[in-house]
Amino acid sequence: MSDVHDLDPESFYEEVHSFEFWFQAVEGYLSGTTWGHRPETTDAPMSPEDRERLITVLCNYCVGESAALEGASGLIAIAPNRLAKVFLSTQVVDEGRHLEVFYHRMRDLGVTDPEREVERRASRSLQTFRRRLLELVASKDWEAAIFAQNVILESLEFAVFQDHAREADSVTAEILQGVVKDERRHMGFGENELGRRVATAPHIRARIGQVKKELDHLVLESLEETVRTLGMPRDENERIGRSYIETVERLGFGS
Amino acid sequence: MADFLSAYSVQKWLESCPQGYLEDTVYGHKPGEQETELLKSNQILREDAIRTTVQLVVGERAALAASSGLINSAPDEASKRFLATQTLDEARHVEIFTHRLYDLGVAKDDLESTLKQYANPNLVKFAGVLLEKVDKKDFIAGVVGQNIVLEGMAFSVFEMMYAMNENINPKFAHTLSGTIADERRHVGFGENRIGSLIKENPGRKGDIEKMQKDMSYFMLATFADAFRDTQAVDELERIGQERSHARFHGADLGAMDTKEMEDLLAATVLKEFKTRLGRIGLEYQSPQRP
Repeated sequence: MSDVHDLDPESFYEEVHSFEFWFQAVEGYLSGTTWGHRPETTDAPMSPEDRERLITVLCNYCVGESAALEGASGLIAIAPNRLAKVFLSTQVVDEGRHLEVFYHRMRDLGVTDPEREVERRASRSLQTFRRRLLELVASKDWEAAIFAQNVILESLEFAVFQDHAREADSVTAEILQGVVKDERRHMGFGENELGRRVATAPHIRARIGQVKKELDHLVLESLEETVRTLGMPRDENERIGRSYIETVERLGFGS
Repeated sequence: MADFLSAYSVQKWLESCPQGYLEDTVYGHKPGEQETELLKSNQILREDAIRTTVQLVVGERAALAASSGLINSAPDEASKRFLATQTLDEARHVEIFTHRLYDLGVAKDDLESTLKQYANPNLVKFAGVLLEKVDKKDFIAGVVGQNIVLEGMAFSVFEMMYAMNENINPKFAHTLSGTIADERRHVGFGENRIGSLIKENPGRKGDIEKMQKDMSYFMLATFADAFRDTQAVDELERIGQERSHARFHGADLGAMDTKEMEDLLAATVLKEFKTRLGRIGLEYQSPQRP
């Protein structure tokens, strides 16, 4: 494939929203990995406290990924065209993979029933976010749901995973780095899809602003909880919070 | 259940599908392969190929809507993850068959109108029966309709098409072979996952069997329309082009008339339904012949 940015706009969308493009992209960083990391990367000894903290954080990641899986699959039905449907299908399998590698990581850490553990440990604010996202999808509100899913949720995960990958043990770090690469693609779709719509229908921006206002506090609460669980200093919470807000602003949806 | 579902993980899917039989393919076929010159130059054969491919796109769009819609009603995380891989498989099928329409000369701007013009109304009704169950978040009926009935039908139809094209149109045959491999996995999941759910919910048998009967009726009506409408056999005879003597379930497709081909396909699919439904504890219901 030549540089996709040389293509005319119509061919560009056809290319970047295709299975073929997804396939080429993931081949680059998933080839040779098993459950999201290289088979030769193994666990170093971990204290019981660190292990417990990591399991709780992974439980929260699973809630986010589960919300993303259910959100993205529900969005296929209301996507306005074939290209968006095909792109969202690639996102569905990405989210399914994320959920799988996080569950698998928990089993590696000795959790025998990850689903039950997620129910027991997951953050309330993240669960509320998940419920609200699925309500937006069920109400067939395409712009609001894409914003909540592909901008807010993906930006939150992007900021948190990227930061956690720097501090994490080597297995978790490799898993997170692969997930972050997927999130970048999902955010790109959200930005592109909403950007084009806002340009032709400015009232959509006001509607998106309302959704952001409603969901921001849930995002920041769950972020605070994750940082606390990971045992990071308090100023880290502010820094990752800023990173999330900057990411959303960079996508053109500031406060 | 957990053990059997581990065979349907995203990891296994990555290893067997994109990193397996789809490796080094472009839109499902080998790079550089093209539709045959005869198909491109003969208007009747080209239109016949477009009509056939439209039915594939319509069927795959229904499968995409159904598999993605079933994720939210799946009772466990492992089934959700399998359905995530199936969703992408179905989207890929939509994409490769849509691309075939472009290769056959359909302009991108004319795609939707072409689908509308050639979509078989009975196939649309077949999909409607399934999607009604999916909309109601009825997981058991949805998976039987999708992974046993729709996929079972697609499996046999694709196998017959593969046999007909293997020697005369390698590009289309290769496109079909990847989808056949996918459908086999989907049918396997349906049989394995639903058997236990039917056992746990014996009261559901009656309405699910009725759904199978309704879908089977519309499927047979679609076959009847498709074989009646085709002009390919007559056109090949008119231009003196010998038909491919491909074998399908022991029969020589090149020596059969269209009615005999329709009967062979219908008998093959219905026999498969009986076997697969029996495996999950459902009794096959014979539909009326359209």
